[in-house]
Amino acid sequence: MQKTETKQERESIPFYPDHLSTELKVMGGILLLAAVVGIVGLFLPVGTGEPADPMNTPVHVKPEWYFLFLYQLLKFIPKTTGAVLPVIAVIVLILWPFLDRRADPSQKARLYRGIAVAVILIAILALTIWGEVS
Amino acid sequence: MNRRLRAENGRITVLRRALALAAILALLVVFLSAFQSRVQAKANLEARGASPPAGEAVLPVAAAAQPTPAPVEKDTCLHCHISGEDKGLWTPLMRWSIFGGVGLAFLFGMYRSASVWTSRAPWKPLRLRAAEWLDERYQVSEPLSKILNKPVPTSALRWWYCLGGITAFLFVVQAGTGIMLAFYYKPTPQEAFASIQFIENQVRFGAAIRAVHHWAANGMIVMCMAHMLRVFIMGAYKNPRELNWVSGALLLILTLAFGFTGYLLPWDQRAFWATTVGSEIAGSLPVIGDLALVFLRVGWNVTALTLSRFYALHVIALPIFTLAFMGTHFLMVRRLGIAEAL
Repeated sequence: MQKTETKQERESIPFYPDHLSTELKVMGGILLLAAVVGIVGLFLPVGTGEPADPMNTPVHVKPEWYFLFLYQLLKFIPKTTGAVLPVIAVIVLILWPFLDRRADPSQKARLYRGIAVAVILIAILALTIWGEVS
Repeated sequence: MNRRLRAENGRITVLRRALALAAILALLVVFLSAFQSRVQAKANLEARGASPPAGEAVLPVAAAAQPTPAPVEKDTCLHCHISGEDKGLWTPLMRWSIFGGVGLAFLFGMYRSASVWTSRAPWKPLRLRAAEWLDERYQVSEPLSKILNKPVPTSALRWWYCLGGITAFLFVVQAGTGIMLAFYYKPTPQEAFASIQFIENQVRFGAAIRAVHHWAANGMIVMCMAHMLRVFIMGAYKNPRELNWVSGALLLILTLAFGFTGYLLPWDQRAFWATTVGSEIAGSLPVIGDLALVFLRVGWNVTALTLSRFYALHVIALPIFTLAFMGTHFLMVRRLGIAEAL
């Protein structure tokens, strides 16, 4: 690092060993958590449902929780729209940095984005819960 | 001479002598016990060949089921080492690693003492020797120290900065447990369900490994999304980090694809019909709908070919793409540093 960046040097720690040890502690915590999950899993296994039967459609087919909001949304909008909408959303998501190119003028921008995230999250959460109970 | 050596090694000499004595005793024990067990095994073999086994402790179930047990060489219990019934398999390895390790420590101690004595120079630690030996050949110490000494802003120690790292580590957990599951999983409609049940009920710690794989998959999706939201709210995707957002979004899609393909693998009702419905939704896309449906299902229906394709995607294709994008993702974090908060 250059000599001019004294402020950054003052407000920074070396990657090794300081930052790396923090990361390793986090990893250790996750491994510990995984061990706990494994031990619990010995007594409460994930389990399997009925073997697959292509001739017999079950009454309630639900996807995993992270696709549940899409599944719930599909109940209210036409199928084609429901298929196109996620694709458009994903394309917008991928290209977002090229759509929002302006540098943040102030702290306010973060607040607005936070509010947007909160609104979207609440909508998705509501749809997920709705899909779960319906 | 001896006095000088003692002055050099003062504190550890007593300890080393005690260790050496213990090692000699341990080596004696290991040789005796190895000899003993070999004699025992020979006697067992002879007894088994001649008459019905008297002390058949290894395979009680198999022995009870079969009136005339198979010879030891043609043992019918193929999975006893998996389910942990065959307890004798690990014993020799444990014995040799414990006593052999002590023996090696003893030999190393002898070599070290002799080396210090003859060269009259302080002992250079093995770690240092290994590092020097490797660096002479790879010459990485300079670039490596550059990486290791890179300053990290203290603001990056807040907890919400480790979400991405947690996601990456969970991917490692998934790779490890996934490889273990792949040892026993069979991706055919006839055997998939039964092999999952085999993993859950027969394989030692199989249920634990599957539980970790299942819950870590969910955790990975949560962490991935949380990391993305953090980056989004903080505006860390802005110039010059646009492409890191792109690779991150692709990684999120890959993670969801992992979930979608992995869900089919148990081949139970939920899996089968969730995949049927999911691929049907993809099939209702305009223009590419039919293509997407046929690509996902390998045909017009969910069949054995669908299972093979999802398995191949889940264990080969998706991991390769994920690793590639993780590489670019981390490379940019490394080059540009963690985005500073405003």
